[in-house]
This record gives sequence, structure tokens and C-alpha cells, in this order.
Amino acid sequence: MQSANVLLKKIVRSSVLPFAAQHGMKKDLFPLTRSLSLSLCLRQDNSCDPSEKVDLDAWKKVMKSGLQEEVGETVSERKELSSSAAAREMLEMWRLAGRSVPEDISEEQLKTFMECPSKSAQKKYLKYLYLKELYKKNDKRKIEEKKERRLEMQEQASKSDETKRNSFLCVWANSMDRAYSWRVAQSMTFGQPLVFDMSYEKEMSGREVANTVRQIVLSESFNRRSVDPFHIHFCNFQDDSLYHKEFIKHYREAWGKLLLTVTEQCYTDVFPKDKLIYLTADSPKVMKTFDHDKIYIIGSMVDRSIKTGVSLARAKRLGLETAALPLEKYLLWNSGAKNLTLDQMMHILLTLKDTGDWKKALEFVPKRKYCGFVSKPVHELKKTLSLINTLKLGKRREEVRKQFAKNYSKKLTQK
Amino acid sequence: VQPPEKPLQTEEWNRLRESFQSPERFEEVMFNNMVRCNSPIDVAKSLLTYVAKSNGDIAYNLLVKYLALCVQQGQTSEIHDVYDIMKIRFRILESGAYNLFIRGLSNSDQWRTALTLLEEVKKNMIPSRTNYESCIKAAIRHQEMNLAFELYHEMLAKDLVPTLDVLQAFFDFSRGMKGAELQKELFGILLYLRENQTYPHKTFMRSIKLWFESIPGGNWRGHLTNIKDSGQCPVCNHQLEDSDLTEEEYNNLRERIIRDVIHGTDTFRKTSPREFEAFQKFVENRLPFDIVIDGLNVSHIKPRKMHCENLFDAVNCLAKENARLLVLGRKHMLVNSSNWKREIMKEMQNKADFFFAENISEDDAFLLYATLQSGKHCKFVTRDFLRDHKACLPDSVTRHLFRKWQRGHQIVFSPSPAFRYDCVVQTTGDTWHIPYKDSFEEKYSYQVPRKWLCIQQKR
Repeated sequence: MQSANVLLKKIVRSSVLPFAAQHGMKKDLFPLTRSLSLSLCLRQDNSCDPSEKVDLDAWKKVMKSGLQEEVGETVSERKELSSSAAAREMLEMWRLAGRSVPEDISEEQLKTFMECPSKSAQKKYLKYLYLKELYKKNDKRKIEEKKERRLEMQEQASKSDETKRNSFLCVWANSMDRAYSWRVAQSMTFGQPLVFDMSYEKEMSGREVANTVRQIVLSESFNRRSVDPFHIHFCNFQDDSLYHKEFIKHYREAWGKLLLTVTEQCYTDVFPKDKLIYLTADSPKVMKTFDHDKIYIIGSMVDRSIKTGVSLARAKRLGLETAALPLEKYLLWNSGAKNLTLDQMMHILLTLKDTGDWKKALEFVPKRKYCGFVSKPVHELKKTLSLINTLKLGKRREEVRKQFAKNYSKKLTQK
Repeated sequence: VQPPEKPLQTEEWNRLRESFQSPERFEEVMFNNMVRCNSPIDVAKSLLTYVAKSNGDIAYNLLVKYLALCVQQGQTSEIHDVYDIMKIRFRILESGAYNLFIRGLSNSDQWRTALTLLEEVKKNMIPSRTNYESCIKAAIRHQEMNLAFELYHEMLAKDLVPTLDVLQAFFDFSRGMKGAELQKELFGILLYLRENQTYPHKTFMRSIKLWFESIPGGNWRGHLTNIKDSGQCPVCNHQLEDSDLTEEEYNNLRERIIRDVIHGTDTFRKTSPREFEAFQKFVENRLPFDIVIDGLNVSHIKPRKMHCENLFDAVNCLAKENARLLVLGRKHMLVNSSNWKREIMKEMQNKADFFFAENISEDDAFLLYATLQSGKHCKFVTRDFLRDHKACLPDSVTRHLFRKWQRGHQIVFSPSPAFRYDCVVQTTGDTWHIPYKDSFEEKYSYQVPRKWLCIQQKR
């Protein structure tokens, strides 16, 4: 059977005709003749009026000529394409068509791609991979450029002056690391705990978990570098969870040496309940001051889809106190969700801990989300805002003036 | 850049290209503009020739753009030539090219080629609904009704939603044709509209009417009409279906609401198990209610009035005729404040039952539960469209049930009372009643059309 197949393949390869027949398409089998004859007459036309006429179908000739051998090759491979190979080929065509598709795609990514539930999900995933590839390439290019520049500099330096040498060993980073570690170790015995609740894995997609871990890694590094770090706890942390895998991806062997507490236990088992405060944007209670005796809990969750009340539900179930940042009170909110990233939360909490200054702390809220800090009481601001709006609209200007006149006259009579 | 009006020579293209700000993208940009300006095809050809001569090859995306231009102008022979070239060059094509080929060829007399292409697309992916649309329309145009219906059922089986255009084409081209099978299929389309609570627009409605009236020996007559609030058709005096769900549908909906809306992934998200249990017990002891009121929603009807005054008016208005009322609220309403006066609250509690949820709980979920638990006659009052709750329901069947139930049972104060009849395409065999939209553009999903097409068969 197999040999027969091979034989068949050879036959197919040897001629073009079966290929055309295979398609069952009614197309002219001698494409060249037609375009040739066409171009011939055109050429004749050309001779009488050379400046005007162009051989319009010349491109077809170019496209069709010199391809026959290649055709045989592709046809032979046409059979038995595995689904992944077919998908790969499809991606290649998309790329040729100018869609946002990555050049290289690994088997694992291809599998994720094929498992996407819908066309739009596929498109989104491809765009994500495409952008990732683009950033990576740009980074690489920049690094190389930098390298070249450095080499040039070195060359110049070596030419001009060879004696100039630094007499200090460069141990700056290393000793800084040691100092930081010392501080965090201190905080592990005496510092204020800060809990990351790692129980949201089921609520998130794989990419969301990856984002979450990335944000936690950033938070951890900020914490390590601060003057008075928190003692970080990862509670509800399951070994071999997605979180765990992502952490290992980020930290590698350093994962075991991190100066923080990782536990499978719930925070309610580790700390007294009345000291815990769950931070969630959905909380009806607004945080007034930072309490140095309390233990704040941050939910380790990124939600790209809208899942309101998930962390509030956790707190409700355990009967914990909740709090939200006083964003409305201090910021003129512009747009965007009130939930902040984990590293922003860490910045804000660290600043609060050090200074207790809300204004300073809320500097870490992304600038695009708010218009400015509130300097006057909110209701007054709202009044001016509405006044501006009515003036802008112009429609009710008359009304406003009348109102004003009325009030004014009232005041006068009252006097 | 403005594309030239006449084919250019190689040198002329060269000059144009060099004057362009980013020469590497010149051809692409030029082609895009050609498609936009619908340039003559010869100009595009001359550009292709220029590219082929200078590069020895033409990139796939340029070919596709050229193809788009050909399709736009219905140049069938060119489309064929491009197809031949692409077939030699590339083993498979991507969806954009397939779309164009199918669209272009289905409008020509070589429409059967489009069908083979559709088959090819199916090997690699699910064809889009426009692919099917082109093929179906081509088949209809050539009076191959069986083929058209085959494709139509195939696309339904793939969960693709046909455009109203395709459905209309079925009616337009079947006008005056005989055949029990055909008639059955077209009735099937009307039932599809019914099932999916889709409303035809005016021109589509006209096609339906004309088709009915053209059935040989059918004796159908159609009239445009408005249905009375009582649900009676003024033309044929037929009483429309009421909006009540069947026993099974009702129970199904109730269970789904409890499971997916109230509990969802976590009961604590909208309420707490303890609170919900207390509420259940409260409702059990007082069943059945006639009207359930969303207290907070109603209290905001007139912004100038005090909140509790609004609610008081609403309760007084509904409390006539011994109706049993349930008002849902939150605990903060009990605290004496400028908006919530204790005396008025007290007085209201004599006229209706009250349940106060926690301030952070969602009262809408309770509203749905209490109404559904009270039985089919029970109505509820809120201006909320309840879209977020509908969205919690996972499948479209239950969502349609929810909408239907909502239409029949929700009282929205100012605009309209609950409908007494169900607003869907409906039939009794010798009558058809089809609601239709006045214009093509989408209405809001909660609005239902008031205009109807009444069709009856005279024996």
C-alpha cells in the first residue's frame, strides 16, 4: 500500500496535468497560450502607439512562468496533512495577507491557538503573540545596538588612554542586595504582615494567572527595596498550582530563597480575624487611615472580564472587615475601573505606611484614570462643574441667570 | 495619494514611487486607494505589471487587493485568472481571499465554482455567514431552491445566524412558485424567526406578504394592522397567544434563575446563604404575592420628590383591589434620614409586605425569585431592564424565556404596562401574525414592535 502511495506521488510530481484535474475546476489548462496571444496583439498595438499602451497582462505571465516544477513539489505534499500542520499553513497565509500573525509559533502556542473557542478568540491570541514577538525583536535590536556602541567606545578608550583604571571592585549591586535582604529578614520577624490571597486560580484564565504572578513579582521587588518592608504572606497557596508554576518560571531557583512566607493555610488560620481587613474595590467601606496594627489582604487576581464582587464574596463568607481605597475622595476620577494592579497597591500601601500621606500614596494611581487631585470639598467642585456644563451647553444659560437673579433678589430682601 | 486615471508605464510608476514618502509600502497604499476610489482595473493591472517586472513576483496581499478591486467591479474573467494564479502559487488560501472569490464568483454565471470553493473553505475552518449568504443567494437566483435550502440548513447546523437579507431572498424568489415542500420550508423560516424572537423589517415583511398572496390556490390575504392592548387582532378578531410560559418552561426558568442568577459561582457575590434562606422563609410564609416592587428603583422615579414619597405613591397606586404587595428594599431605608422618613415607612408597611436586604446585597435577585415563586399571575415593578441578570443565564434558550417572561410580567411605570399578548411570529395554521420593525435599524432589545402583519386564508 505504501509503495503504491509513493508511486502515486511520483506520478503526481512528474506532471502538472493531474494537479489541474484534481481540482475539478473548469479552467483553461493552457494558461500561457492565452496570455501570450493577448500580449502579442498588445505588442502590435504598442508598435503603432508606443507611448500610450502598456502590456496589462504581463504580470500574469510572470506569475505563471517558471513555476511548473515547484508546483509538482507542493502537490506531492498535499496529502495527509496533520491538523496542526494545516493550521500552521493557514497562519502563514494570514501573515502573507498582512494580518497580525507572529512569524514563529511554537507547538504549544499552536495548540492553544487551535483550542481557542471562537474565531475572534483566535484573532486576539494571534495578535497578542504578534505584539509579543514584535517587542522581543525590538528589544533584541536595541541590545545589539547598545553592544556595538559600547564596543566602539571601548575601542576609542583603549586607543586614547590605557592607564585610566578604576581601583574599586564593582560590588555595588551585590552589597545592595545584601542590605535589602537584611532589611526584609528584619521585617519577617518584626514587620507588619501583608497577605496575598492566592485562592483565585479558578476564576482566572491562564493568561490572567501569568499577569497576576508578574504583578506580584513586581510588588515583591518594590517591597524588598523599600525602607520599611512588609512581611509578605502568600496564603491559600497550593503547590503545583498554576500560580506556583508561573512563580517558578519567574524566579527559577530563587523561588526557594525568597524572604516571604508561603502557606497553604488560609489567613484566618494564621492571624486573628478581628485584625484582618480585606482590600477590595467593591467594598462599601472606605479606608480613612492606614492602620499599622491591622493586617491587610490583597486578592491576587487580574480580571480582564468583568467579575464584580468576587473578592467581596470571599470576605463576606469569612466575615471579615473590608475596605476600599478612598479614590473618589481624593481624586477627580476620569475613566477606567477602580481596581488597581497589585504592584500599584503595593506602592500605595508602602507609601501610606511610611508617610500616611494619601496624596503622596495616590500618586501611584495611573495618571490616565484621574483628572487631578481634589483640593476643595467634592460637593463644591461638583457645583462648579455643573455650572461650567450649563454654560457650555448654553441652552440653559438664560435659566441660570434667572435663577441667580432670583436668589440675589431674595438675599437682598432678606437683608 | 490619488491613484492615476490611466495605466502607467514602468518609468512613470517608478517616478511616482520615489516621490512617495515610504516607498516600501507604496504598492500597498496605492492598491488600498484604488479599491477606495474604485479605479479602472487597467490601472491596477499596470501597477501589477510594474511590480512583477521589478520584483519578479507579486506578494500575496497585493494579489488579494487586486482581487478585491475585481470583485468590486464584477470582473469575472479577471477573478478567474487570479484564482488560477493563486492556485498555482499557494497550496491553500486564507479566509480573506476565499471570501472575495466566493463573493465575486457567486454573482457571475460561474456561481457553481463558488460552491466548490465553499467546500474547500469547510476543510479548514467554519465558513462565515457571508460565505453562505453569497452561495445561497446565487442558488436562489438560479432557481435551485433545494440546493439553497440545503445550504441554509447546513449553516443553521453550524450555529451561524443568517442575515435577514438571505431570508428575504427566499421569499422574493419563491413568489408564485408551487410546491408543498417549498411552502413547508418557508414556513420553517417564519418559525425560525419565532424561535429566535427576531422581527422582520418593513421591506422583508412586504416580501412575506407578497409571497403569501402569490401562492397559487392558497387564497391568502394580508393586512397591516396594530394589535389592541387586549391582544386581539382588529382585522381577523383572532386573539393572539398570551405571553404565559408553559408549566415546564416556567419551572425551568425559575430553577435557572435560582441557580445561575442568585447563586451563580458564589452565593456570596449577590447575597449570602443565610440571608437568602431568611428571604426564602419570609416569602414561603406570605405567598402568593400579586405584585413585587423594587423599592429602591421605584423611589427614584421622580428626582425632585423625596425617595420615600415616590415609593409611597407607587404603593398607594398599586394597593387597590386588595392586591398583595411585596416591597423589596435595603436596610438603609429603615434609618431615618432626609430621604427616608420613618413615619411614612411605617405607614407603608401596613399596606404591603416589606423585606429589607443587606446594604451590599443585590435586591434584583430577590425580586426575580419572589415573583417567580408567587406564580404566573404575579407581576413585578421596576424600571431596570435586568440586562445583567439576563446575561447570567448561560444559554440562549433560557435567555429568550426570560425575555418573554419579562415582557409579560414587568410593569414599567411611565411608558407601558406588561403586555397581555406575546410579541412573536405566530400561526394557527390558517392565520399568521407577524410583528415587524418600521425601519431596518436595530431597535433596543427590550422594545417590541407594535405593528403587525395579519395574514389569513379564506376558504
